[in-house]
Amino acid sequence: MRRTTAATCAALIAALGAGCATSGTSETRQADANAPATITWWSTGGDDETATFQKAADLYAKTHPNMTIKVQTLSWDDAYAKLLAASTSRSGPDIISGGMTWTIQFGLRGGMVDLRKYGIEQLQAQAQPAQWKSAVSPDGTIYGIPLDMSTEALYYRTDLFEEAGLKEPPKTWDELTADIEKLKKSGVKTPFSIDWGNLDWIGYFNFLYQAGGTFYTPDCKPSLNTSQAEQALSYWIDLHREHGAPTDTVTTPDALGAGTAMVYGGNWNALAIDTSKPELKGKWAIAPLPTGPAGPTTFIGGRAVGVTSYSKHIQQAADFVKFLYTDEAVDAVAAESKARNIAYIPPRPDKVADSPFAPEHSAVFAEIIKTGAAAPGCPGWDESASDVAKQLQSAILGKADVKTALGEAAKVMERNAG
Amino acid sequence: MATHTAAPRRRWRRYGTSYLMLLPFLGLFAGFLVWPLVNSLYLSFTKFDGVNAPEFQGLENFRRLLFDDDRFRHALGNTFLYVVASIGIGTLLSLGLALAFNGSSWPHRIMRTIFFLPSVTSSIALMLLWKWVFNPGDFGLANTVAAWFGGRAVEWLATPGLTIPILVLMSVWGGMGYGMVLYVAGLNTIPQEYYEAARIDGAGTWQQFRRVTLPLLRPVTTYVVVTGLIGAFQVFEAVYIVFRGTNNIGGVLDSGLMIVPYLYDQGFTHFKLGYASAIAWVLFLIIFALSMVNLRIGRALKEL
Repeated sequence: MRRTTAATCAALIAALGAGCATSGTSETRQADANAPATITWWSTGGDDETATFQKAADLYAKTHPNMTIKVQTLSWDDAYAKLLAASTSRSGPDIISGGMTWTIQFGLRGGMVDLRKYGIEQLQAQAQPAQWKSAVSPDGTIYGIPLDMSTEALYYRTDLFEEAGLKEPPKTWDELTADIEKLKKSGVKTPFSIDWGNLDWIGYFNFLYQAGGTFYTPDCKPSLNTSQAEQALSYWIDLHREHGAPTDTVTTPDALGAGTAMVYGGNWNALAIDTSKPELKGKWAIAPLPTGPAGPTTFIGGRAVGVTSYSKHIQQAADFVKFLYTDEAVDAVAAESKARNIAYIPPRPDKVADSPFAPEHSAVFAEIIKTGAAAPGCPGWDESASDVAKQLQSAILGKADVKTALGEAAKVMERNAG
Repeated sequence: MATHTAAPRRRWRRYGTSYLMLLPFLGLFAGFLVWPLVNSLYLSFTKFDGVNAPEFQGLENFRRLLFDDDRFRHALGNTFLYVVASIGIGTLLSLGLALAFNGSSWPHRIMRTIFFLPSVTSSIALMLLWKWVFNPGDFGLANTVAAWFGGRAVEWLATPGLTIPILVLMSVWGGMGYGMVLYVAGLNTIPQEYYEAARIDGAGTWQQFRRVTLPLLRPVTTYVVVTGLIGAFQVFEAVYIVFRGTNNIGGVLDSGLMIVPYLYDQGFTHFKLGYASAIAWVLFLIIFALSMVNLRIGRALKEL
């Protein structure tokens, strides 16, 4: 009996071991292109956003009666793990959308289709150039294209500005620090704070590019050992240490509601403030971030969308992804976003002015996006980002000087670049 | 020969139905526990990105983890500090509460219920509440209370030195009610005669506690410490929800980086599933070894 048990256990373990080794990539057989097809799109975000993309899907289905497109929600919290599980088991959605670099990461591991085979490059002319570049993998393969955009603006309390005798928002770094001091003198306890990217590389990104620096050179060599990078970090540190910007993060509506006069916040706040802080109605406005010595460059994020390599309907799915850039698709998503109060910025700069924000806010976002830049798409960046953020935090919290922190960050980037 | 075949047949006739009834459980147990466990052990010896086939590389993951990974060492140090503080303080407070409210009167029952409430509340909801408590804005409870006493506003979640103390506070607050209930059960099993005998022998309150209560509570203490230890080593939500404000999962300067959040970071953000499996097995070995030491120290194996 004992021997039988031992043999059964051994067989079980052997079978499991064999099972372990079976996962891997293989070509998925394509279904007949003319047969009726149901395409599934796993969209990372909220249910409301899913409903906006479903509008575009329904529009497409009208002209393609053989096709049904189902958009399903993945929450940001567990989307990555679910997409990873789908890639591993090679079963799941035909289309995925999520963080800007996700399609590249899954693509490099064989989980996504190179959309160049399906003529996706023709959309490049319509996209924001920097954002398009960040969606393309370093070797030029296109595993995903931008689905929407997000960016950062200066939110400010017009009533507090008036009390401090300030007529307009700051336009340059010097004006920003001068205004902070004026607001302090007029009794504002916290004149300035950063919401999106506080103590993180995204926060530094704006200052770095506005000072004329970059994380990498165009040929992907780490470039944080420059005087521009030092100038940007020194200015950012001063905002915290000299001018009282909090190191702890408070969301833009909460910060403005609590009496902070200026906040660097994401575009979604433009729709959230009046809803969550009705008492602020008419007391706030937005402007582009103040310009640095080299210009106004601001961070652009967003989501990418692509087709999975394990889809049985790659051709049809790729065709639908292309459809998402048409006027009618963008307009349908924008109209539904407006109805649902969702902060959607389309991936096409020419359509930003029609996005679901108040016209004056849409105009500011359209202005910001013109000179926007996106996250570095260089090899090793995703692995380095958290360590780079840690070095920046060391400098802000006074645990390391500017040069050392940047040097250490550059070292990590070099090591991960391979 | 005949007896050889007859015995299993007899056994089958006698226990067959029981085995059949156990089958659904065994199937689930094998599919959802044994299989993932064996699989993760196998993966810990491989380089696996979740999509391509795993590549066997022997002990490389463990070598890198133990000798070449500063972040893992940092996470290990943080976790040990957190475990010692939260288990130490949590156990003492659980015992204190049990001694204070072990009666059957209504006030005692109400107090026990109040202290036990965090244990039956969703941990995600609790963590979000703690995030509000330590919010640096005007609605942050901690800063509001500090302001009543003329204190300066503190940036609780962005001050690296405060991260572990805050995590310990959250853990002790959430867990001491559970420990209290176990201790109350333990206290009620101690016969009153022992205390009477001790009193007759001239023992004071402290001596009764030291010589009667504590030794007889040893099995409960062992249980509270071992289960607490396992839970504390696996701390995740507190770090992930309360401190994940920036790109690094462990909060500002990785000050709250613990083993399980690091495992999650490696496995599910950096596609290093083989490496993450190695971290999981190192964590298992640490918990296993410490639990064994604890059981030995408590000499409670027989009582359990």
